[in-house]
Amino acid sequence: MKEIRRKRRTWLAVGLLVLPFALFFLSLNVGSYPIPLRDVGKSFLSLIVPSLRSEVPPAVRDIVLHIRLPRLLLALAAGSSLAVSGAALQALFKNPLVNEYILGLSSGSAFGAALSLVFLGRAFPPQAGAFIFGVAAVLAVLFIAGRLEASLVSLLLTGVIVSAFFSALLMLVEFLASPYALQSLFYWLMGNLALAGWRDLALSLPIMAVGLLLLFLLRWRLNVLSMSEEEARALGVDVRREKWLVILAATLITAAATSVAGIIGWLGLIVPHLVRMAVGADNRAVIPLSAALGASFLLAADAAARSLTSIEIPIGIFTSLIGIPVFLALLKKSKKVWL
Amino acid sequence: MGLIRTILVLILCLWPALSLTGQERLTIKDDLGRTVTVPAKVLRVLSLQPEISRIVVALGAGDRLVGRDDFIARYDHLFAIIYPRQQRLPVASAVDGAPNLEQVMRLSPDLVFASPSEAKIPDSLQGKTGIPVLAFASLGRFERLFEEIQWVGTALGRAERAAELIEYSKKILERVQRAVADIPAGQRPRVYLSFWSSLTRTPVFYEPVTAAGGRNLAEGLLPAYLGTVGAEVNLEKVRIWDPDVILVHGSYLSDVRRVTTFGILGDSRLRSVRAVMNKKVFYTFGFWYWWDPALVLVETLMLAKLFHPERFPDLDLRREGNAVFKAFYGIEAGFDRLCRTLDIRDWPWQ
Amino acid sequence: MNIRVDKLIFNNRNFTLSVERLEFESGRLAAIVGPNGAGKTTLLKCLAAIHPLSRNTVFFGRQDLAGLRLAERARLISYVPQEHSPIFSYTVRDFVLTGRAAHLPLFSLPSARDEAAAQEALEFVGLEPFADRPYSQLSSGERRLVLIARALAQKSQVLFLDEPTTFLDPKHEWQVLEFVSKLAGQKGLTVLITLHNMDMAVKYSDSLVFLKEGKVIAAGRPDDILTESLLQDVYDLPMKIVACDGRKLIVR
Repeated sequence: MKEIRRKRRTWLAVGLLVLPFALFFLSLNVGSYPIPLRDVGKSFLSLIVPSLRSEVPPAVRDIVLHIRLPRLLLALAAGSSLAVSGAALQALFKNPLVNEYILGLSSGSAFGAALSLVFLGRAFPPQAGAFIFGVAAVLAVLFIAGRLEASLVSLLLTGVIVSAFFSALLMLVEFLASPYALQSLFYWLMGNLALAGWRDLALSLPIMAVGLLLLFLLRWRLNVLSMSEEEARALGVDVRREKWLVILAATLITAAATSVAGIIGWLGLIVPHLVRMAVGADNRAVIPLSAALGASFLLAADAAARSLTSIEIPIGIFTSLIGIPVFLALLKKSKKVWL
Repeated sequence: MGLIRTILVLILCLWPALSLTGQERLTIKDDLGRTVTVPAKVLRVLSLQPEISRIVVALGAGDRLVGRDDFIARYDHLFAIIYPRQQRLPVASAVDGAPNLEQVMRLSPDLVFASPSEAKIPDSLQGKTGIPVLAFASLGRFERLFEEIQWVGTALGRAERAAELIEYSKKILERVQRAVADIPAGQRPRVYLSFWSSLTRTPVFYEPVTAAGGRNLAEGLLPAYLGTVGAEVNLEKVRIWDPDVILVHGSYLSDVRRVTTFGILGDSRLRSVRAVMNKKVFYTFGFWYWWDPALVLVETLMLAKLFHPERFPDLDLRREGNAVFKAFYGIEAGFDRLCRTLDIRDWPWQ
Repeated sequence: MNIRVDKLIFNNRNFTLSVERLEFESGRLAAIVGPNGAGKTTLLKCLAAIHPLSRNTVFFGRQDLAGLRLAERARLISYVPQEHSPIFSYTVRDFVLTGRAAHLPLFSLPSARDEAAAQEALEFVGLEPFADRPYSQLSSGERRLVLIARALAQKSQVLFLDEPTTFLDPKHEWQVLEFVSKLAGQKGLTVLITLHNMDMAVKYSDSLVFLKEGKVIAAGRPDDILTESLLQDVYDLPMKIVACDGRKLIVR
């Protein structure tokens, strides 16, 4: 019995790891314009073999390499980042209801983007505003809570307060915005991978890669950190230092992902739960598999957002509308301790 | 008996006066289908719809304006040129467009113009203040623009001037239409409009493009936001469309302009699009809270010359532009001043 | 190696713990007893440096415990809390594996050696068959054993257990205490426990420490210090000590 369960778990894990690659390949072939598989392949090959360039119409090549490819890479990176960040923070805060935006990041990012879209000009793109203020919000939380006692509860409470503060600032900016800027802002807030280009990737991908690597290396440590602070200290862990490290890494990757993709909710809450339901709570598995499932989830949602209708549906709507019912259904089915 | 007779005589004498005022009142049906009774003499006008504000000035009734709306107060660089005295007008609407009721009552206009995109506001405003409210907008169509000019003119007792403006506009449009009428569909340039400071937002209907002998590629799409004409498309679609010309919304001042011609020309995703390869990416004026009735004519001329230069060999856009502005607003070099404010170096005619 | 306490003072808002001098022999089981609020858990936590420790108060051999770094200290001392409320359902094996944290640098994963230590600990407490079950599915007594196993996996020389038998039924209580005394006897660890149950304390411990209101009333071997007047002083209740089957029992 144990053997069967272990085998099933291994298969599930392998499946989850392979899924993003499969979806990536499929998504390359999905879009407004039907492009035959052959041409997709040739577009890639033409990077190495220049002579192939003439065999593919330039429109197709541009779509595959400059519109779809960066967008999919972004979905992979952002999906992984948001899911891993959620998983790590859930372990750190010993609370399965925590998500990646718990420390005020989403409000900070929204305000930063709004500031840029409404008041600052072209020199200060919303991506920069979102990143800077997203990180600033978390730093504010760390600073304020740190002056108290930096217990996890005080961090969460401070997160709520800072979040509320930036939300209020956001409302003020919205109030003062012209109707045109307001439209742009609302669209940004709903989450959107549509305008991702190579330049966005070039700036955000390294940050996400570094943060993800850090959390990947810390994945077993998260098991220890998810014990009570007293226990963790008794086990010989410098809780204060490692807590800061985890929060910083999670913040960087979430801010980077949010700055280029907008606010995409629910990923960081739901994906780690689904993974734990499948393979248990050991973070050695949960972290990499959350990355895989998060990436897959965002890829699938993006493919749907692109191709369902002729209009681009904001991706944040998808992750919520699809994620929540799926989550509830799985919750009902498992019945047992699902954490 | 004597008293009753006196009263009857009084009524008989006053009756003509009463019925006269009755006859001079108008009922107008606005864009929301509301039938509104407008007083005979409209001396104080409050326009909360910038397009109408511009029409009021063009009708020569600018001095009747008692207030301005938030958009004109804060963002409308054009209105400041055609009606400099607007500076002194109090602002009667809030930042989200909602009218400030107290301010409206204090200004006590005889007539208020509003935008039909906020369906509840005209009724609630009229209900609460008792002042008649008319809602009009062109929504990007010339026919509607002319109707709007006509109704506003009638309401303000400037019907003749309105007819003049409409006549003038129609002549210019007919001139353009005649010149491009026989161009076959295949030779009408396929145009993609990047409006509202976004690469992917485009108007599903923009008549100047069609009137100038071009084809708006987004025509027929569903608007993304109800009550507007904007649709969201994705870049793949733009790439597949492969437009001959890309027009960028140019009414934004240069420091807030997010989509620029050189941005598009340098964007790797659109590199092989025909318009980019042939460097046919230009600014056009576009909406600026709907239209300026003079500017839209100049825009049509500009686009006509851009699309079919051989049919308009001696069209001097700057001269014509200034002439149109003079005809509408009575100002000199109005078009030049607007272009300078927008600070664009690469207009299609340059 | 012995544990020596020298002028330990701990203050919090309502309570002061003050210990002049205490010594715990290595390889022996010591039980800290006393009424509620006497400071038993506080003393244990101070000794384990869970509460901040001042310099030159607690010595392990000749080492000042306060001068050690966290990981070093954890390699010397294990602390088993009263309870652990499970939030994430780790398997018993993974749970015990976390005890190896003090031996692993920050970015490392447990190696074969760490897995072996966890395995050994599980076998010692007899929970090997439960190794792949979620911790939350175990009974109270089994969970206590898991906590002990985790402490064992730490491979420390000193073990502190806080109220290891609270809420356990007699059989499980006996089981846990058997293990704990085996740890001192078989494995030669220095073990400190806090206990409510006086009879068990007397039966299993090599030395007793009586605490009342933050002060040490008496410390030493049960045979030496256990008297009825001491019990009355500490618990404010007259008690009788009765001999039975070669053991001392406390009757109220």
